[in-house]
Order: sequence, then structure tokens, then C-alpha cells
Amino acid sequence: MSSPVTRPLRFLRRTLGPLVEPAVFDFWSRELGSTASRSRIQARVVAKRAESARAVTLELQPNRRFEGFLPGQHVNITVEIDGRRVTRSYSLTGVPREDDRLSLTVQQVEGGLVSGHLYTDCRVGDVVELGAAFGEMTLPEILPFKLLLLAAGSGVTPLMSLVRELAQRGMPVDTTLVYWARHRADLCFVPELKALAAREPKFNLRFALTGDAVTGTDELRGRPSRELLADVAPDLSERAVYACGPAGFVAEVELLARTQARSFQSEAFTPPVFAPVESQSEVTLMLAKSNRVVRVASGQPLLAALEAQGIKPPSGCRMGICNTCACGKRDGLTRNLKNGGENAEPESNLRICISSAQSDLTLDL
Amino acid sequence: MNTPDRKLSPAEIESFGAELDALRARIVADLGEKDAKYIKNIVRTVRYTEVAGRGLLYAGMFPPAFVLGSVLLGFSKIVENMELGHNVMHAQYDWMNDPELNGQTYEWDTSCTSDNWRKTHNYEHHTYTNVMGKDHDIGYGVLRLYPEQKWEPRFLANPVMALILMTFFQHLLALQSLELERIVGAKSKEQRKTELARVKKDIKPIWKKMRKQLFKDYVFFPALAGPFFPIVFAGNVAANLMRNLWSSAVIYCGHFTEDAEVFPIESLENETRGHWYLRQMRGSSNFTGTKLMHIMSGNLSHQIEHHLFPDIPGRRYAEMSVEVRRICEKYGQHYNSAPMAKQFLGVWKRIFRGALPNKPTRFKAAPAANVERAEELVAA
Repeated sequence: MSSPVTRPLRFLRRTLGPLVEPAVFDFWSRELGSTASRSRIQARVVAKRAESARAVTLELQPNRRFEGFLPGQHVNITVEIDGRRVTRSYSLTGVPREDDRLSLTVQQVEGGLVSGHLYTDCRVGDVVELGAAFGEMTLPEILPFKLLLLAAGSGVTPLMSLVRELAQRGMPVDTTLVYWARHRADLCFVPELKALAAREPKFNLRFALTGDAVTGTDELRGRPSRELLADVAPDLSERAVYACGPAGFVAEVELLARTQARSFQSEAFTPPVFAPVESQSEVTLMLAKSNRVVRVASGQPLLAALEAQGIKPPSGCRMGICNTCACGKRDGLTRNLKNGGENAEPESNLRICISSAQSDLTLDL
Repeated sequence: MNTPDRKLSPAEIESFGAELDALRARIVADLGEKDAKYIKNIVRTVRYTEVAGRGLLYAGMFPPAFVLGSVLLGFSKIVENMELGHNVMHAQYDWMNDPELNGQTYEWDTSCTSDNWRKTHNYEHHTYTNVMGKDHDIGYGVLRLYPEQKWEPRFLANPVMALILMTFFQHLLALQSLELERIVGAKSKEQRKTELARVKKDIKPIWKKMRKQLFKDYVFFPALAGPFFPIVFAGNVAANLMRNLWSSAVIYCGHFTEDAEVFPIESLENETRGHWYLRQMRGSSNFTGTKLMHIMSGNLSHQIEHHLFPDIPGRRYAEMSVEVRRICEKYGQHYNSAPMAKQFLGVWKRIFRGALPNKPTRFKAAPAANVERAEELVAA
């Protein structure tokens, strides 16, 4: 990499870099149209194409801060919508590449804030922020068992990444992918999957449709059932199962396959619904930084509730104006006691003196 | 002096607060892309004017470049401190979830550490606004502005002190949290010793930030000019002075004007949200001026709105002020607003008057939470 051009640049970066504040560096980098950043993973959208009637694939070029991923993992992606930065997790659908380019496939969801933005408004050239890759549903280096991959809807995305990895590794074990969707037009990656199935005798592909009639030989009809599984994988006890889809689907296939299969790994992508608890009931607060778990009454100001447990977070005015007590909320439903508004989004600065827990919460305390 | 505020019944105070809460909710619901764009443009203004100002100073042997460079750099520092830093640190833009505009982590371009500022200003000053003994911003421990403050001989130097404070505003503000006057006022040797030990400990982070600011403005950037070191140095002095004088003038006009009021500590007892709003309003004053003046004051020209709604983006105060003024009229409350020159003149009257002792004065304002007692005081 150290060509005569990059060497002086690297020297400048090393010597002058520390003198410039990260925010100032990032500002000028943005002004100059670069995604370079001192601390943050920024990525530019370099391609956008339709993947099905309701899904698009985005190709992203991250900056040097991105430290790579394993097939099957996800990233948090942050986009700005109406002035607010909103974060959601998406599975990466590709395999690691020399040029670090990433791809993810976004299905349009009714009322989905981020998916709607990525599907409709996001353009080639836009810059998004990413988090480090995470997720456990990856393939081991040595594959001792045959595989059965069960995908439903956009649950296909991490499994597609695994299929691509297997293809790259020369399909080392017999692999069957069953991919559920309501309609044929909703299926993603169809040409690529069909081509792979035609090329690789060890790769079996079945599309399972719940809303359309079956036409092709690689198609099935119906929701997951014992019969269906027996049909596609009579040798279930010799297979390791990977399942991904909405929570209901994952629970269903787990019930059908877990006991018989060699192993069972799954991921459900339906965002947890924070069911508001009854007033006067107790909720669990996970304090992520201090690694503590406390039970408090819902509905009362979090600050007071924590103090009653002997935990003393920084605080000031106790009336929601000075921001001293603000801390990050990773997940959960909170209510602003000043205006009654509820918020299920993660927040960087939750003022705990005027917020109450309406469900279990995870706080950066 | 304006007509005194109408005494409000507890029910009126409650509905006064409810109307302000409703105004607040309406604006919060409307925050969005316009506000995000605005603050990003402010960031852009700060960065570009800083680069232009510093750049021009390197051509500073040419007088117009020196003047323009100093003014641009001063302007950049003013906008960074007021419209960007001050407002971002109030968490006005936290709803954007932008780590660069986060109220708890933003660090501004002035000697005062953001952490100290968040404590003395966001918490103490904004919660206990103009409450004697709780709000250190009443004269910063060195000025006597209100007849309710106890006179001491050191206040004879009030006008000189006010000027010194304005000139070295960034550094003296940085020292504010140390409350150095407590060393002077110590009653015993031991007390003085504990105060000194406290100051010695607390000054460490302050000195670190101060050193960084001094190095950047008075060593690093001038040194880059080589033989023209003195010119760039002088330009930085001028820019910092410009920022110090302007920002201190804006802040003086926010709470030290003729009609601004202070409150006894008892006013905090059982204070409701409505009372709190009322106290914020009576202790603050606006000044009128051009759009540029509003931006350069960080919209603290709308000090009343800022004190009622410290965490709402400053650019919204102008539109909110129309409604706040209407609510004040409805409840017979004086809305303290005048051209900047007039407000500043009123401040200097206070500064001179405060230099000399006066007869003991009762608090003009009633302890907010105790309306009946207020009636007694007025009758007495």
C-alpha cells in the first residue's frame, strides 16, 4: 500500500492527526466529500438495486474504521430521518471482500421507519454510519454435519450470507435451504440461488410459499410442519439447523426441529414489542455499565427508583432541565413524565429524573 | 420601573404554567429537519470563519487582512461559544442523536471546562435562577448588583471589577466554579485552609483546559507564522477580547437589567412548576436587535424563553416569544424586553449603584411558593 503518493499522506496523518480534534477532522472530511473519520465507521452507498418486488440491496463502501465481519453477522446502521439519527440492525448478505465492500438487503415493512427510508429515500452517494459487526450465527471452520437452513421472509439475509460462504468454500457439506415467503414476487436472490442449485449437486433449494400456488419443482406450499420437514430433510438427525425469520416462525421451527436435529441455532428479527406493563407492577432494569440488575416499580421516576435501591447516578435539578442525569437507553419503553410521551427507541440521553420505565429497560449506568 | 406584576392566585399560577407547558409541547413535537439543518449550518459557519480568520491573520502585516482576520476569528469564537456550544450543552439538540452535538460530551472553544459549565450553569444557574445564596451567577461572587445583596467594602470596586470580568471573561468564567471569594471571606484560619485545599484540587482540570486554550491561541498558531509571530498573536488577542466583551455583555443583559429580580432562598420551598416558570421569567430579560445579533447572542437575546425552555433549540425562541409575551400579558406579568443598548445601560446603573451601601432592602418579589406570605410582606 505504501506507494510514493500514500507515504507522505500517511506521514501527515500520523504527525498532524493528533493535533486536530476528531469532530473537526470529521467535519472537514465530510465537507470534502470523504467518509474518513477519526473514530466512527462511515459508509457510502455505492449501489442500489431491486432484489425482489419489495426489497432492495444496498452496497456500502465503509471507511478504514470498519474491522470486518463473519458471514451470518449483522451491523447496526444509523441513518438520519427528519433530522434525527435512527439505528437498526441489518444482516450483511455478502461475504467479506478484498475491498471491504458490504451489502445488505432491506425489505420494505409496513410503517417501518428505517426500512422505508433505506428502501425509498436512500440514494447512491448517501453516507450512513455503521457499528461493528456482531452476531453468533456463523459457520464453524470445520463443518462436521450436513446443514439445513430455514429462512422466512427477510430472515433469508444472514442465511444468504452463509450460503455464499459455503459456495465460496466449494460447498463442503450437503446443504438444504428452505426459504418461506408469502408470494413468489417477495423472494430475494432467486436467480443466484437457482444457479447455485443447478451448479452444486450438494446444494438443495426449496422455496416454500404460503400465499401462491406451487408451479416449479423447487417449490412447496404451506407453513412449516412435521410433514414438510420430513419431506425436505428426512435425514434431519444428521443435520445442523440454522433458522432465521420472524419470532413466530423461529419458535415454530424450533419446536419441530430442535430435538431431532444435530444442533439448532436461530435468530428472530422481529423487533421486541415492549408490552407496557400494568401500572404499579415491577420491571427489571439492566444497568449495562455497572453490570447490575435491579427491580423497580414501573411508573415512578427512574432516578428516584434507582436512588431508593441505593444507586446514586449523577443528578442535578430533578426536573428535567439540566441534563446532568441523562444516560443512554439501549432498549425498552419509557414514558416522559413531563408530557406523557412514550418512547421505544434507543436514546443517547434519557433524562432519568423525568422518565419512568414502562417495560424492562437496559440503561448505560 | 414598570407596573408591578399582578399577584396571581395558586390556580392562576398553575394555569400560567400549563399554558407554557402546552407551548413547549407544541414546539418539541415540531422539531425536525429544519432545526437539524440550522445547527449544522451553524457548525459550518463556525468552522469556515475560523479557518478564514486564522488564514487571513497569516497575511496580517497587511492591515486590512489583520483587521478582517481578527474579526472573523472573533466572530467564529462568538458563534461557537454562544449559538453552538452553550446551546448544544443545554441538550437542545440531543433529540438528533448526533454524537458531535451531544449535550453531555460537547467541549467548547473557551477556557471554562464543559463539565464545570454543565454544573454551574445548566444545573445551578438554570435551576436556582436569581435565588440569593443558590445562584452564583448573581454577580459571580465578585459583583454586587442587587440591593438585596449584602454590601462589603470590596464592592466599592464594582465598576472596575465589572470591566475586568468582561475583559478576561473566558478565564474568569473558567474559575467561577472555584468560588475564589470564599477564600477571601473565610472566617477562620482552618476554614481558609480547607477552602485553599478545595481550590487546589478543583483547579487541576480547569488549568489543563486553560493551558490548552492559551497554547492553541497564543503559542501554536502564532508560531506557525514564524517571524510574524507577534502579528498572529495580536490577532488572537483581539479575537478573544472581542468574544469576551460581547459574550459578557450579552450575559449581563440577561439577568442584571433594571427590572430583573432576585429571590430569597425561601422561594424554593414547595415551588411548583408554575412558580418555577414565574421565577425564571421575573429573573430574566430579553433584548431586541437584528437577526445577526440574535445568532451572535446564541439567542440569549431571548433570555426569558431560554430560561423557560432551556433545552429547546435557541432558533425557536423568537417564534415562542410571541406566545410567551401574550401569556404574560394575559396574566398581568411584566415581559422585560428592550433594545440592547438600553438594557446594557440599565446593567451599568446597577453596577454603579451596587458599589455603595444602601438601606436594607426587602425582596421585591414575593417568595413565589407562598402567595399569602407575599401579601403580608406587601402590606407591611
